[in-house]
Parts: sequence; C-alpha cells; structure tokens
Amino acid sequence: MNEAFVGRENLARLIERWSKDRRVFVPVTFDIMNHEETPDYEAVRDSVPEKLKLHGAAPATTPKSFLFYAREVVATYPGAKADAAVEAPPTVLVGPRACDLAALRKYDKVYWSTKHFTEEYDDPFYIDKRERTFIVSLDCSAAKETCFCTKVGGRPYPENGFDLNLSPVEGGFIVTVGSPKGESLLAGADGLLAPVSAGHREERERNRRSVTEAVNRQNAKFEMDGPPDKYDLEASAEAWAAVTQNCVGCGACNRACPSCTCFLLVDQPTKTANERTRVWDTCLSVGYARTGGGGNSRPTLPQRLENRLRCKFEYSRDRYGLVTCTGCGRCIDVCMGRIDMREAIRSVLTEKAKA
Amino acid sequence: MKNLYRPIDGVIEHIKKETPAITTYRFRPKEPLTFEAGQFVELTVPGAGEAPFTPSSNPNVKDTLEVTIMRVGTVTAALETMKVGDTVGLRGPYGKGYDLKSFAGKEILIVGGGVGLAPLRSLILALFDEIDKYKKISIRYGARTPDDIVYKDLLPQWAKMKNTEVQLTIDAPHPDWKGTVGVITVLLENTPFDMKTAAAFVCGPPIMLKFVNIKLLEKGWDPNHIYHSMERNMSCGLGKCGHCMMGEYYVCKDGPVLTAAQVAKFEDPF
Repeated sequence: MNEAFVGRENLARLIERWSKDRRVFVPVTFDIMNHEETPDYEAVRDSVPEKLKLHGAAPATTPKSFLFYAREVVATYPGAKADAAVEAPPTVLVGPRACDLAALRKYDKVYWSTKHFTEEYDDPFYIDKRERTFIVSLDCSAAKETCFCTKVGGRPYPENGFDLNLSPVEGGFIVTVGSPKGESLLAGADGLLAPVSAGHREERERNRRSVTEAVNRQNAKFEMDGPPDKYDLEASAEAWAAVTQNCVGCGACNRACPSCTCFLLVDQPTKTANERTRVWDTCLSVGYARTGGGGNSRPTLPQRLENRLRCKFEYSRDRYGLVTCTGCGRCIDVCMGRIDMREAIRSVLTEKAKA
Repeated sequence: MKNLYRPIDGVIEHIKKETPAITTYRFRPKEPLTFEAGQFVELTVPGAGEAPFTPSSNPNVKDTLEVTIMRVGTVTAALETMKVGDTVGLRGPYGKGYDLKSFAGKEILIVGGGVGLAPLRSLILALFDEIDKYKKISIRYGARTPDDIVYKDLLPQWAKMKNTEVQLTIDAPHPDWKGTVGVITVLLENTPFDMKTAAAFVCGPPIMLKFVNIKLLEKGWDPNHIYHSMERNMSCGLGKCGHCMMGEYYVCKDGPVLTAAQVAKFEDPF
C-alpha cells in the first residue's frame, strides 16, 4: 500500500495507538503571547490533545530539537568509554513540513557522514535518535507571511524524506507511505484506513497548487535574481553593514533555524569526574571564531551575519551540494531586530548589481 | 558506535620550560594515538576544556607525543598547574598530514614565528629522519626577544644537520643579542631557492603569516607550495561544530594547513 485515506477521528486513534509504546509529539495551538497562529509540539499522553493543529504552516520548533538535543552530555572522563552508550526512546514526530525535511538533508550529511556524505565521522548521538524517530510530515494547508520555501527551491508539501506524509483533505487526510519505517507505523491499522478516492487526490493537488501560489504571491516583491544555488553574496562591507544595522547578535535565528548544525563543547567538573556537554552554538556570537590568545577571524557583527547567510547558500552548496536555507521563515519570525532575510539577500544582491 | 567526543587518557611524563610562557609537555596515551606531520590533536585539561594543538614531537615516535604550548587562555593556564603523573585527555589525530613523499628531491623552507616553531618541529624531525631525500632544509625563525626563543638547545644541533641551515632574528635590538634584528621577513630577503618547486612551511601569529605570504608571493614562490598553519578555533576536529569554518572549508578537516592558493580567494584569510 502506497497511500490511504484516514478520517480525522481515525487518525487520532492511530496516533494514540503509536503512543502506547513510543513517545509521540504532535503540533498543538498555544494561546500564549501572539502565537495563536503558530503551533508547537506537545507530547501525547493518553489521548490526542484537544488543541491538535494539523493545518496551517510549520510548528515553531524544528525537528533538530528531537534529533540533536540543544544540550546533551557526550562524554564523561577520565576513563571515558570507547563507545557511546546511547539508546533514545522510539519517537514519532507528527508535523514537520517540507522545509523541515529539507533541513534534515544537511543534518544527515553532517552527522551521518558515512551514509549521506563523503566524510568518515559518524555522530552516534544523532544517528541513534534519527534511526529511532519516525517522521510523519504534513502538507502545508496555508502559508504564514514569512514563508518563502518556493524562493529557495522548495515546495510547501513533502515529496520525499518522510516515513509517512499527511495531506489534509475533506474529513481527514491522505496518508502516503515514504519508507519501510512508515509502513510499520500502519501495521495492523487496516481498520482505520480507507481507499483514496479520485476526489481526494484532486483536492490534494488543488490545495498544493493554491499554497504554492500563495507563497509565490507573497514573495513576489523580494526579487532575488537567479536561482538560489547560484547566489554570490560576496559584497562590500557597506552592503553587509546596512543589512546588519538592526542585528544585536542574539543568535535567535541560529536556534530557530532547522538547518543550523553548529555546536559548542563545554567541559565541567562534576563531583566524581568531568563532563563534556554539547550545546547548540550560534555563529553570530563574538566568541564563536575566537582563538586562544584573542585572535578572531570575524570580529564584527556584519562579518558574522554575512558568514551566516553565505553559509546557507554558497558554503553549504560548495561543501554539501545543498542550499540549506529552506525558506521556513523562522529566522524572520524570531528576529527582535525585525531583519527579514529575504530583504537582506535582495538588498545585498541589488547592491552588487549596482557596483 | 565509536564516541567521537571521548578523550582518551594520557599521562604527563615530562615537563620542560622553554620560555617563561612556553612549556613542552610529553604525554603517554593509554590507548594508541599516532599522527602524521601536519595533523593536530585535541588536548583536554580535565574540567577546564579542550583546545587544538599540533604535536611538536617526531611523528615516527609512536608511544608518546609532545606538545609545546604557550599560556594564552583558560585551557593553557589550567594545564600549567598540572604535574608529571597527572592525567589529561587526548583526541585525534585530526586534519590532513603532509604528503612528505611529494617533497622528495626538493628544497624546503621553514618559516616560524614565536611558539609557531612548535608545530613545525614535528615536520622538521620527520624530515630529518629521511634527510637524504631532500635537497636542502632552511629554517628561518623569529622571536620577540632572545628569551622568547624556543628549543634553544635544539637549534644549534639542527644547524649541524646535513644540508640544513638555521637563521634566527629577534624583533628589536637587545643587549644580549649579536645576530639579526627585525621581524621575520628580514630573513626572507635572501632566499636562493628554486621558487617554482621549493616548498615553504609557515607557522606563527596571523600577522606574520600575512606578511610572509606577501613576501613569498612577491618573490615568485608558487602559491601551491606555500603551506600556512591556519589559526582557527578548531573545537570538535571532526568538520561538524563549525567554529573553524572559512567559507566552505572546515580548517580542522581540510587543514589545519592550507596553501596560499587555497586561501587566495579570501580578502584577509589570516
């Protein structure tokens, strides 16, 4: 079976069934601050939360939070063990969107290098979680105003990289199987599924077309000349200083970004030994490139923001063959300086064209 | 699966003060840890943190390794409080080693500044092991003052090796100094080398790399044969954490030594 229809109620039963022997996270609406429109993940306890929100755009939290923890002890020494003793609980993540799956391609290359890239170092902590996590992705049924996936080569619906994908249609979802892992999530669930009708398929295509058009429409004003994998953002210091004017270097964009992979190792003594903890890091902080003795290859904020944006387009392209900005818009959502990355890229490219 | 972040235990076997701020430590790793000239290791001072160092000892010595370290920050300051017999952590080796075979039959120029001679020492000792293979080895070394010169006991021995010369300079006149005075580039005025084939290995503070690079290129040195030890924050050593990124390069994986040709596209690579 490649795809099936699952009614809204039956999906809830299916999710509850998954939660019997796995951790399951689903997107729900939180009525706090101004975030009514942006769902975020909540664990399923006994039944599916009332505020389940499977429509709209991507949840605030990105899959990296589940696969590459913001903070994790990676070694205890002296006398550290040669093998990483890791065994993450089996987890089902319902709700990542196409932009999130695109970002996982970079995660796979960086942290599961022997399988997805040409380098030799495999990260046991990531691979363990990745292998034990089931990704149940969703088509976007609407775009938030900061979404721009179609500007960077993406689509607002997943085409690959998922175990199961859900496409909202009248009364429920088309569930598409993307992997043997996904297939296993549906084992024994035949009673909850029904055949997909031609009408369902038409509705899915209509929805996909209309969201794609909405994303295109709202980004028409951000004219970025040429395809994103051809960007050359090397520009004058003045052009980057102008973009950085409202940046305070807080690094919220790094943390909200689904494809930022950088980390810092922090060593601390404990009562009995010493612990090495891996924490997410931000390339916008002044200490990021600092070396012993105080040298710093990127001492100014404009240099650091330039590095961040060029990393997403040029450096990732040259190293991994990927544009790693996935157009999810989260960096815009969280920026307290209201820097819009689309506008930043547009203005740098425009300045270059003039020069 | 192998834990990439695990330091193996290493015991401090010997400590030698080179200058007031620079010390050479010899470590005996409790598990095998060997390296090639040009590669580096991550040294953990328990509880204080980890920092990258290129060993200064001969890579052909397999059971111990030495690192010559200047006190500049928290990790190096914490290391100074440790004694013979204490345990540190070691990870590695990381980065690319030199392809020594490719230098056979060629002239070799080694340019060091301050503690920058330390990583070059592992290269020098590896070259000495097969000294007949190389046409000439010229070591040019600059320090701030006579007191800041490292390996004071070794330099005269090196100068006596076959086809080898050692030239020294200090930055400013000093009552105890009879030799050349001036920054390292004064030792590069006279370079009777075949610039098209000779290899230059440069290590020192970033400002020194910058001016040595300019000087050698001016003289017509082939940028593919100028090897710079890049000063970057190589934290994980695995090409993952991002701190040493330089454009699409991870200095810890693609380096730590990059050629003048590789860094030419950067406005100010040092």
